[in-house]
Amino acid sequence: MSDTKAIVTEFVKYAICRIAAQAIILSVPGAWPASGNANCATIQSSKPLALRERYLKIAPLSTESPIVTTVAELSTRPIRTQARQQKPTFRIRPTKGWAALNVRELWKYRDLLWILVERDTKLLYKQTALGVAWVVMQPLVAAVIFAVVFGRVARLPSDGAPYLLFVFCGLTVWTYFSQALQHAGNSLVRNANLVSKVYFPKLLLPLAQTLRGLVDFTVTLVVLLVLMAIYRVPPTFRLAVLPVFLFFMTLTATGVALWFSALSVKYRDCTHALQYFIQIWLYASPVVYPISMIPERWRPLFALNPAVGFIEGFRWAVLGHSVLNPSLLCITIVMSLVVLFSGAFFFRRAERGFADII
Amino acid sequence: MSDVAIAVKNLSKSFKIAHQRDGLPGYRTLRDDLIGLPQRMLARWKRNGQLTSETFWALKDVSFEVKKGEVVGIIGRNGTGKSTLLKILSRITEPTSGGADIYGRVGALLEVGTGFHPELTGRENIFMNGAILGMKRVEIQRKFAEIVAFAGIDKFLDTPVKRYSTGMYVRLAFAVAAHLDPEILLVDEVLAVGDTEFQQKCLGKMHDVSAAGRTVIFISHSMEVVSRLCPRAIWLHEGQLISDGPSDAVIAKYSDAGDRSAIQT
Repeated sequence: MSDTKAIVTEFVKYAICRIAAQAIILSVPGAWPASGNANCATIQSSKPLALRERYLKIAPLSTESPIVTTVAELSTRPIRTQARQQKPTFRIRPTKGWAALNVRELWKYRDLLWILVERDTKLLYKQTALGVAWVVMQPLVAAVIFAVVFGRVARLPSDGAPYLLFVFCGLTVWTYFSQALQHAGNSLVRNANLVSKVYFPKLLLPLAQTLRGLVDFTVTLVVLLVLMAIYRVPPTFRLAVLPVFLFFMTLTATGVALWFSALSVKYRDCTHALQYFIQIWLYASPVVYPISMIPERWRPLFALNPAVGFIEGFRWAVLGHSVLNPSLLCITIVMSLVVLFSGAFFFRRAERGFADII
Repeated sequence: MSDVAIAVKNLSKSFKIAHQRDGLPGYRTLRDDLIGLPQRMLARWKRNGQLTSETFWALKDVSFEVKKGEVVGIIGRNGTGKSTLLKILSRITEPTSGGADIYGRVGALLEVGTGFHPELTGRENIFMNGAILGMKRVEIQRKFAEIVAFAGIDKFLDTPVKRYSTGMYVRLAFAVAAHLDPEILLVDEVLAVGDTEFQQKCLGKMHDVSAAGRTVIFISHSMEVVSRLCPRAIWLHEGQLISDGPSDAVIAKYSDAGDRSAIQT
C-alpha cells in the first residue's frame, strides 16, 4: 500500500517537473536555437531534447522543491547552460601513435567511395577500341601461355582437370588479385592532388581500387563459365560457396594494398618493388600447379600465404576435382584477417603524415 | 562564448626541411634510409640528430577566434603560412602543437577543380568534384541544374573536360564549389579566376554565402576584395599573427609595412 502511494507521489512530482521544465525551456530565450537560422536549427535540434532530459533526471531526485532549483538554475545561467551543451564538432590536436579505424567516417563518405569506383571503371577503358575485351585478354593470354609452357612442355599435373581450364581458373583469381594490388598500391601517389588538397578518409582510395577490380573479375568469371561449358565441366552446388572465397580474396588484396600504398607515399620504391613482389607471389601460390604437388607436411606452412586458400577454394568450387582441406582454409582466413587489420591500422597511423610528405 | 565557430589556440606547425645530403635532393628512398641508418644513429648520439634537417615553422603560436557568421580575410605575403592554416583547419594536415576547435560542418576550397579528371565529361566531373568536397550524391543531384546554370556550360555537359577552354574548366569547378553549403567555409585564393564578369559573379556568390549567416575564412592577395567582402582581417607574417581587427585598419598596416620594406630593399 505504501509502495503504491510512493509511486503515485513520485509520478505526480515527475509530471509537474516535466511540464514545468518544458515550459521553462520553451520560454527561456537561448535554450532553443535561434529560429531565424534554419540551417542551424536542423543541426542543433537534438540538443534541447538532451537538455530537457538532463533536468528531468535531476528534478525528481532532489528532495526539496526541485522545480524551484530548476527555475533558479535555468534563469540565472541561461548562457552558461547553452555553452555547456555546445561541443566542438571536432577538435584539431596533434596526435601520436595508433589511431582508431573510424569505420563510421568511412560509412559517412560511402558516396565518395562509389563515385571513385565509378570514375575508375569509366576511366580505365576510355578511348580504347576493344574496351572491356582487354579485361578478358589478360588472363586468357596468360592462361594460353601457361598451358603451353607448364601444361605441355613441363607437364605439370592439374588434379585431373584439363590444364587450360585449371590454369585459367587460378588466373581468374590471380588477375583480380594482382590488378587490385597494382592499382590500389599506387592509388595514393596517383591521386596526390586529392591527398594534399581535400579532407576525406584516405582509406577510400585503395579501397575503391580493390572494389573496382571486382567489376573486371565478374567479366572474367563469365569467360570462365564459357570455358567450363566448352570443356563440359558441369557446375555444381559448390558454386554457392564462391562468394565466401571472393570475400576473403578481396580482404587480402585490400590488406596488402593498404601496406603498399601507405609505404609508397614515403618510399616511392614500393611502386617498383610491387611488380616483383606480385611476380614472386604468383609462383608462390598454386596458380600454375596444384597444391597436391606440395609435400603434405609443408602444406600448413604453405597455407600461410593467404592466396593459397582462396585459389584452391575457388578451384574446388568450380572444377570439383580437388579435396578441400578445412584446416588449410582456416589458416588462410586467419592470415587474410591479419593482413587486413594490420594494413588498416598501419595505414591509419601513416595517414596523418600523407599530406605533408606526398 | 556560445557563438564561436572556430577557436584557434597557440597553433603551430613545423616542417622538417631536409638539407641536401650526399648531393641528393630531399627525396627519400628506402636504400638511402637503410644506408644512412647507422650514420644517423651515430649523429643523433653525437649531436642530437641535427645533422640533416632543420625545423621550419610555417605557423608559430597563432591564436584567434572567429564567431559564427563572421567573414574573415587572411592576408600576408607568399609563404607565410596562410594556406597551411587552412589546411590545418580543414584537417588535411595536423598541427605540431596547439590546436583548434571547430563548431560546425566545414567545407574547404583550397584549389579550383580538385579531383577533376580530364577524361571525364563535365557531368561526371560535377559529381566527382562534389563528392570530394563532401556533398552527398542526392545533394548534388538536387543542385545539378543550378550548378550548370551558374557555370554556363550546359552545351558542353557531355564533353570530356580535357576539351574545355581554361575559362570553362575553371567556371565549372568554381560552380560546384560555390554550391557547397557548409556552416564554415574555408576558401584559398580561388576568386582570381575567369573573366571580370565571372569574378563578379563569384564575389556575389561569396557575399550571398556570408549573408546567409555562414562563417567564412578567406585568403586573398587582393586587398580590394578583402575590404569589400570581409569586415575583419588577419595579417600573418612568417607564421605569426601580426595584426587582427577591422579589415581597413589591418590592410592599412599591411600595405604600410609592404611599402616600408620595399623602400628598404
